[in-house]
Amino acid sequence: MFKALSDAFFVELSEIKNSLYKLLLLTLLPIFSFALMILIFYQGVAFELPITVVDNDKSELSRKLLFNIDASPTVKIASQSLNAKDAVELVKSSSVYGVIIIPSHFQRDILQRTQPKVIAMLNAQYILIGKILTGSLVETVAYSAAEVEFMEDLVITQNSDSALNTISPIGLQITPFFNTYENYFLFLVSALLPSIWQIFIVIATIVSFGTLFKEKKEQEYFGTTNITAKIIGKMLPYTFVYTLMGALFLFYIYGTLGWYFEGSFSVTIFGMFLTVVAYQVIALLFFVTGFDYARALSLGAVYTAPAFAFLGVTFPIYNMNSFALFWRDILPISHYVELQISQANYGADVFFEGDKLLFIGAFWLLFIPVIVRFKSRLSL
Amino acid sequence: MRFLEVFSSEAKLIFTDVAIVLTIIGGVILYAFLYPQPYSSQSVSGLSVSFVDLDKSKVSREIAFKLNATPQITITRNDMSERDAKEALVKGEVKAIIIIPQNFSKDLTLGLSPTVAVGADSSYFLIYGAVLEGAMKSVLTQSAGIKVAKIMIGGTPMVGAIDAYTPYILQTMNLFNKNNSYTQYVIPAVYIIILQQTMLIGLGILGGGVNERLRRKEKGHYSDAPIWMMMSSRYIIFGLIFFVHMLFYFGFSFSFFEVTHLAKISDILNLGLAFITASISFGIFLGALFNSREIATPVILFSSLPLVFSVGFIWPQEAIPEFIQDISILIPSTSAMQGFLRLNQMGAEFSAILPQFGILWLQALIYAILGYYYINKNRKKYVKN
Repeated sequence: MFKALSDAFFVELSEIKNSLYKLLLLTLLPIFSFALMILIFYQGVAFELPITVVDNDKSELSRKLLFNIDASPTVKIASQSLNAKDAVELVKSSSVYGVIIIPSHFQRDILQRTQPKVIAMLNAQYILIGKILTGSLVETVAYSAAEVEFMEDLVITQNSDSALNTISPIGLQITPFFNTYENYFLFLVSALLPSIWQIFIVIATIVSFGTLFKEKKEQEYFGTTNITAKIIGKMLPYTFVYTLMGALFLFYIYGTLGWYFEGSFSVTIFGMFLTVVAYQVIALLFFVTGFDYARALSLGAVYTAPAFAFLGVTFPIYNMNSFALFWRDILPISHYVELQISQANYGADVFFEGDKLLFIGAFWLLFIPVIVRFKSRLSL
Repeated sequence: MRFLEVFSSEAKLIFTDVAIVLTIIGGVILYAFLYPQPYSSQSVSGLSVSFVDLDKSKVSREIAFKLNATPQITITRNDMSERDAKEALVKGEVKAIIIIPQNFSKDLTLGLSPTVAVGADSSYFLIYGAVLEGAMKSVLTQSAGIKVAKIMIGGTPMVGAIDAYTPYILQTMNLFNKNNSYTQYVIPAVYIIILQQTMLIGLGILGGGVNERLRRKEKGHYSDAPIWMMMSSRYIIFGLIFFVHMLFYFGFSFSFFEVTHLAKISDILNLGLAFITASISFGIFLGALFNSREIATPVILFSSLPLVFSVGFIWPQEAIPEFIQDISILIPSTSAMQGFLRLNQMGAEFSAILPQFGILWLQALIYAILGYYYINKNRKKYVKN
């Protein structure tokens, strides 16, 4: 039994050594895909997003406000437009992300205390970019307005403490828990890499078994005894490599890049191991539907490709419908990413993670129908 | 006459292949419904928040009321301490904590500018953003109310008091996607990538399969028919299928999932034709490069996420390394997404997307030439030896 398993393991190792394709699936292809995602988000924070302005006042105060906006790290005033219509055309052509319009008589209205409105029209088609811009503009405009008021109050009261207090009676202190850096790299890449990783696990498993059947070598390979052990032995090299790969990206993100990892690496890596095997078993389940290599790949593609959207990292699970929640539940990666976030960010007690680990482990049970199908196929 | 023979042989090759049919018909239809599912409610609302009221005053109760009145926030717990609230947060019972400090009301009367603390789970940026937005809105209105009240005691009339709140204000407006709908944000671009990727997988399996047969010295139309006939057959068959898919995606599915339609139908079809033709050329070219049927699915699958994220509609182009943008411009979906989003989601004129339109036709031409070259090369390599 054990002999059959370890034989199958070493046979697969030498197969991998002789197959450029399998070797690529285990090394360069995933590393290349990961590197691309890392590079896309490496900057992590958006700087100098271009906007255009329509300054209908051209006064000292309007220039002061625009100066402050341009000076903020997030926003760059890329152009001055003559009117709102021209400005909106610029947004439509995507050369800027928004327009700031300063009304005419801006300065006069401020001095007459009739509270003019500065209008920001932002491209909300790009939701994330829109949110980043809104946050920055709200802050800058509030700051600039406070500056003006502070000067006015100072003139009246001659007391800077009291002047400060009338600006805003209630302070708002905002604490981002966990991803304290407010950095999109950590937020997106830590979920995108697992989403790509699961695709590789499924594909490599199907390739490994698919080529065997495509070349019609399955009878010769499995024979009639110890079929289960041989299947496990054949899976193991991939289990090992993909778990190691997972552990490496975890160390890369949280170790070398210096983000905090509050929880336990070993629990997270154990979760990874469970996830790798879960996906291998699911890949085999696709394969045994017809023992057809190309069809299994198509099924694997349908199953793994949309996973990222269902993780709940971008769009929260609290607002998902029941079908989306169901689909999310049948993807081991969503439970793994939940585990990774709660370990990395909350440092949750291992005791809390039991249900997530169990959920991932439950996919292992699918190995039973896989074995049954293999045995009946091979006894034909 | 010869062309009809080649055409029917190509059609047979395509429609008898379960993997191809599963991808270009089954996959396309399934994905149209599967991808929009997570976003069906379109925006983020009703997030559970723990309210820690250490002051228990009239003002703090008013703040709680105002928080609850925002669409983003629902107070589901009232914790006695920050510690309890944080525990609930770690367990995932709440997504944010709002703390009113002790003596809040007293400090307010004394003019000491007390602070409301808001802590939100920033592991999920939409949740974090929604909580902040809700908290800002309600605390700021409370703040405004208090300020108005204070000035009133000082004897300023109410109208002046409201105006005195701040010298000027910022009013933000959404251009396009007025309701911040997430479906609207993600689906148009994702649909384009689905159409392209399923097309490439289909043509990749087909081309890889032909190369396998050539290698095995199997005889068929692919070993001697004029290449232009084979290629034209693929343009016709895939073109027709994906034209119908395109109508289904941008017509029926868009209305079904309530995605805005700003572009003229003729403009969409015009851009769509360029996109479909460019994708077919690219698919024929890739298919000629693959030496087996099974390479297409994995390679194209892995490229999907990087392709979506390098276009610049999720993460700004300004923040993406330039060489990645340069590479991504080689792929039809990049220009198609940029063009389509501008036309249909932002209502740009067709003249504004001429660069994208030109790139797509250029790709259609160049990849067709490359495809022809490699099919010819494979054939010479396998048939002559």
